[in-house]
Amino acid sequence: MFSVLKPHRWKLGLLLLAANAGLLLHLACGELKSVSEWVWLDIVGEGGSALLALVWLGLVLKSRPAGRVTNYLALGLSGIFFSWWIDSLDEFIRLPDSITWDHWLESGPMPVGMILLTIGIYHWHREQLAISAQMEKREKLFREHRLFDKLTPLGGADYLKRQLTASLEESRQQQQPLSLLALDIDNFTAINQTFGHAEGDAVLQALSHLLLLNLRRQDLLCRLAGDRFVVLLPNTGESQARLLALELQQAVQGLAHKTRQHGERVHLAASTAVVMAVDEAPEALLKRLNLALARAKQPLAKTA
Amino acid sequence: MTLKTTWYEADSRFIPGHYQPATLIDLALSRDIDSHRLLRGTGLFHEDILAGQTRLSPQQFFGLISNSRRLLDADDSSFLFGQRLLPGHYGPASHALQHAQNLHQALDTLVQQQALLSPLVTPRLVLDDKHAWFYWLDSCGAGEQWRFLLEASMTSLVAMSRALSGQRLPWECSFSHAEPRYVEQYWVHLGEHTQFKRPLDLMRIPREYLALAWPGASATAGQVARQEAQGQIDQLGFASSFVDCLYRYLQTHVRQAPSLEQAAQAFAMSPATLKRKLQKHDTGFQQQVDRVRKHVALYLYQIKGFSNEEVAEYLSFNDPANFRRSFKRWTGSTPNLIRQLFTSN
Repeated sequence: MFSVLKPHRWKLGLLLLAANAGLLLHLACGELKSVSEWVWLDIVGEGGSALLALVWLGLVLKSRPAGRVTNYLALGLSGIFFSWWIDSLDEFIRLPDSITWDHWLESGPMPVGMILLTIGIYHWHREQLAISAQMEKREKLFREHRLFDKLTPLGGADYLKRQLTASLEESRQQQQPLSLLALDIDNFTAINQTFGHAEGDAVLQALSHLLLLNLRRQDLLCRLAGDRFVVLLPNTGESQARLLALELQQAVQGLAHKTRQHGERVHLAASTAVVMAVDEAPEALLKRLNLALARAKQPLAKTA
Repeated sequence: MTLKTTWYEADSRFIPGHYQPATLIDLALSRDIDSHRLLRGTGLFHEDILAGQTRLSPQQFFGLISNSRRLLDADDSSFLFGQRLLPGHYGPASHALQHAQNLHQALDTLVQQQALLSPLVTPRLVLDDKHAWFYWLDSCGAGEQWRFLLEASMTSLVAMSRALSGQRLPWECSFSHAEPRYVEQYWVHLGEHTQFKRPLDLMRIPREYLALAWPGASATAGQVARQEAQGQIDQLGFASSFVDCLYRYLQTHVRQAPSLEQAAQAFAMSPATLKRKLQKHDTGFQQQVDRVRKHVALYLYQIKGFSNEEVAEYLSFNDPANFRRSFKRWTGSTPNLIRQLFTSN
């Protein structure tokens, strides 16, 4: 947690200093209100807002890598927090009417903070577009981080089913074919046995990158389970899908993966199966795909 | 008849931390899970497990499984755990598996050394002319962790027999629970023909695969390892859990349908104690009796080819209609339907 906040220690230190200075200034010039004068609604409203702004700041700093966009967001949120903080101080401390700087302290940082935050969010949006472009072939229109696979940078089976439902509907409307491709590594258990499960995981990660490179823009790659991958192929008929399957198979065979420990080459081969969607439910289609794959692997039963 | 009076219960601390629990811990650590969070609430410390001194009770193991499931938060956790479980690194019992000469010997070893190889899930082997049937029983009241354990156990056997035989064996798996949302994990790890909502948690394989010689087995090493493993069991003082001992007693006396009092007497304890012990394992006496009668009925149908009337008579039901009602209560289905379900397997 603290290592994440380390690059921001100056910003956070300065904010702490400013908040303290505001408090001291108020204490020096004003007098404390008695408890009977406290207006609880205002305290909860203004104090709570300040507290929430601080939580937002913490979450932003913790979840984002340091950089220009993060700085904008952090400065903006700091300004907003500071305004609300000063605002909540006068619930406890009464300043004489002759003092006017407190209005400046209260209202000055707010617009500045808002502007900085807006700039930050705008750049965040630009950044997100750039990242989405990189997520091509792995994500389509819909994001739900809980459906991400834990091992590879791909969507899992649930993400696939969700996308499949949408794509089936779309292909029906547009009268376009939709195909599914399954790819399963032959004898993957032997890799786990020979090189260890950690190496098996590394192979899966390498494969997910390799497969992405060999797909078209509109395709979607997901990891179904274990060493089985599924590609959603919109606007694709069965023969074209078969061609793609063959290309993926060749790509897997051509991959010269080296083990992390000794740099040994791992020879890989894959079995594939292709089905074209007919009028059926996503679950039935997936089941048919997997049965087709089981048939494709049958002659390999001796080695799989 | 003499009964083995020693057994393990849900709170007996006998599972070495560096056996099956370590397999799960290593899986979690490989997914960057913090060891403190993983062991929170189990009363275990990673350092002690590393030192090889810790013994877990089944209850503690359940706690560890529950934590792992929550922290790993992935549908394939049980299957990955299962792939790493067997033959394992559990002393001579694992060596015995490693040097099994064929599937039959491996299955026998698994059944005999269950306390060492699979302390939470009890495997049982039944043979007929065509198939070997291998079913799994809850030995310590796993409750919510049962499905995880079952998935892991079946996967462990499929993965081990594939690794040691050098080929993919045509196991067919059936589960009593409904098809889960993550059914593709079953397809990939257990086979595309896995079935759900069946009367038993069961695996079967054509009999010819039992005797097929496995490469890489050493007959001598295997025999010595089996003896050593038996010595380890003798040292422990028990070979099965309390629930399993009761199961075996009820199975032996299924035709007499023993009462709670009779069973308690056979186990040399008061009926109240027997009740309390079963409660500790998340079950009750009637539940156990019904489970045994269901299994015996299914056995008679499937293996012996008995008719409804014969099964009813064997289980001492005076009235076939009465039997049908009971059977429906045990399995949620009528005998005729269950038989169909079996043959469509």
